[in-house]
Amino acid sequence: MGSRLTRRQLIRGAITLAALGPLAAACAPAPQPPSPPAPAFPVTVTDDDGQTVTIEREPQRLITLAPSNTEIVYALGIGDRLVAVSDYSDYPPEAAAKPKVGYIRVDIERVIAYNPDLILATGAHRQQVTPQLRQRGLKVITLDPKNIDHVFDNILLVGRATGQTATAEKLVADLKARVRQIETKVRQAKTRPRVFFELDKSLFTVGPGSFIHDMIVRAGGENIAGDADRPYPQLSLEVLLQRDPEVIIITDIGPYGGETPESVRARPGWQTISAVKNNRIVPINPDLVNRPGPRIVDGFEAIARALHPELFSFRLPTPIDRPAGTYARLTQQLSEVFN
Amino acid sequence: MTAGVHGRQPLTARRRRVIPGTLILAGLVLTVGLLAVSFGPVRIPVPTVWAIILNRFVPGLIEADWPPTLATIVLDVRLPRVILAGLVGSALAAAGATYQGLFRNPLADPYILGVASGAALGASVAIVALPSTALLPVSPVPALAFTGAVLAVAAVYLLGRVDHRLPTTTLILAGVAVGSFLSALNTYVMILGGNRIVQIIAWLLGGFTGANWFQVTLMLPYLLAGLLVLIAFGYRLNVLQLEDEEARQLGVDVDRLRLLLAVSGALITAAAVAVSGIIGFVGLVVPHLVRLVFGPNYRTLLPLTALAGAGFMVLADLAARTLLSPVEVPVGVVTAFVGGPFFLFLLQRRKREVF
Repeated sequence: MGSRLTRRQLIRGAITLAALGPLAAACAPAPQPPSPPAPAFPVTVTDDDGQTVTIEREPQRLITLAPSNTEIVYALGIGDRLVAVSDYSDYPPEAAAKPKVGYIRVDIERVIAYNPDLILATGAHRQQVTPQLRQRGLKVITLDPKNIDHVFDNILLVGRATGQTATAEKLVADLKARVRQIETKVRQAKTRPRVFFELDKSLFTVGPGSFIHDMIVRAGGENIAGDADRPYPQLSLEVLLQRDPEVIIITDIGPYGGETPESVRARPGWQTISAVKNNRIVPINPDLVNRPGPRIVDGFEAIARALHPELFSFRLPTPIDRPAGTYARLTQQLSEVFN
Repeated sequence: MTAGVHGRQPLTARRRRVIPGTLILAGLVLTVGLLAVSFGPVRIPVPTVWAIILNRFVPGLIEADWPPTLATIVLDVRLPRVILAGLVGSALAAAGATYQGLFRNPLADPYILGVASGAALGASVAIVALPSTALLPVSPVPALAFTGAVLAVAAVYLLGRVDHRLPTTTLILAGVAVGSFLSALNTYVMILGGNRIVQIIAWLLGGFTGANWFQVTLMLPYLLAGLLVLIAFGYRLNVLQLEDEEARQLGVDVDRLRLLLAVSGALITAAAVAVSGIIGFVGLVVPHLVRLVFGPNYRTLLPLTALAGAGFMVLADLAARTLLSPVEVPVGVVTAFVGGPFFLFLLQRRKREVF
């Protein structure tokens, strides 16, 4: 169930994503004028499968098997080396134009035909796909992060494997600084709001062992499904009402998911919930919280902001006095999409 | 196959225990219903639960000293859920009994005429291709599931008909063929749906997580109409246990009776599936349980099966929502888990007597 949910979430916000296009600039680090000396290949790395992979020359023909991996490659500034990407790779927008090779079920023949010199897979490919590719002598690196810090390690790993070590280090330093900033802010919070994170309206949610649960706790929230026995449990409506969340985060948004604060408010019986009474139903683009790539920090910030709006409550820049900075552009984009 | 349906025991011996048995069964089902309303994943003192319910019907009778959340839980979550589970359970069980009698086949279940695969296809199309509830006044899923189920049965009827006759063999074959064709289509829609696949699977698993009063009112008219027809004409299923020619000689219009019962069974199954998804085992096991206890006379079998089905499903759903609280268990897992072994146990115990 877990992997299916994750997959669904991975894909679901596809349409909202298109509107978020310019965020690419926000995540990609500024180009470094003096190009750092390329590390001497061959490079040997150990991936999340525990496999040691030796890469002889700087890879020029990359294939990603998950949207998150595509986002990492673009963030390292080498998106042009992608010869093919996974299905649902739609960020940054130019990724959508690349040839697709499948996602959970990968078209092995097409992957081979592209003659890649490095493939970035995920834990979901461990059983069926990765062994087949390795058998054929292809270089595969598996990224299977379990929390935000692990995502940063993965970015560094991909950086080393592709000869972009300096870029990766700069990117990760920036991302870590942002996480620290958010965590410092959250530490000032006087409350620890109870939160219900809704994956879809049949009340599937996140429990311990999931990426999102981890982020909720770090963002200073109390997950009302924190005592569940699995990462993606289905909560009883009775229990939901009794535990009375102060914040409800919805991610099944967009034209197909279609949930909105209004639709949640209109559900029979939900009117007694604090989050509904106090108008604290917050939509978050699922791709930000479900894709373990550089944008996970945006997702972390979105959760922290949903839990502690008072700590983040600055006036959104108006078009006139809006500074040209990427952060301002990011908040502008987010507010346009979600308000 | 008829041997399984007809006991060797004289009917009078069975009849003697039908009346007290019915009373005991009714008492059991009532108890189960009261238990299911009294207990849930949220522990509310039982007197409070009933005070809340009493207060709803006779406002002001008891002073409301409970938080409004508890009233919402009891009145808007638990009560409609128990009632919906009961309605669905009785629909599936009665339809199962009807089809077992109609096809003289102990393996027949409510889904034998393609209702499940038709409904599943309809639901999948609604989930994948239609915009969500936010853009429409009501969810399109139950509507399309119901339409799919009805269309599937219509196709089975047209394909299974032979010169204005409705032989059981061709009907079953048409059901199987249409069913697997629609399942294949459904699989294709699921693959096309990509990101919506989990919603489809959740629907296919079935259950009462989202039960509300609207669903109860949606289902009730179909169930009442269908059940009434089944109970009114079901006793003629006794005659259908004979060969068609013999039944005709007894003055029964075999084909019209078959059509009437098949359509009624399909209608209540479609209504059940539309609101709760596809829940297995109830429609197969409950009629057999009732038959093992009360004998094969369809005059009593059909109403008793409807009653027992309600009780069984309410109990299964009580387990589904309390066993792993606060997490839900799919009710289909419970019905299979409990129904299967219990059925085998009864079968083992009464094998000599029945067969």
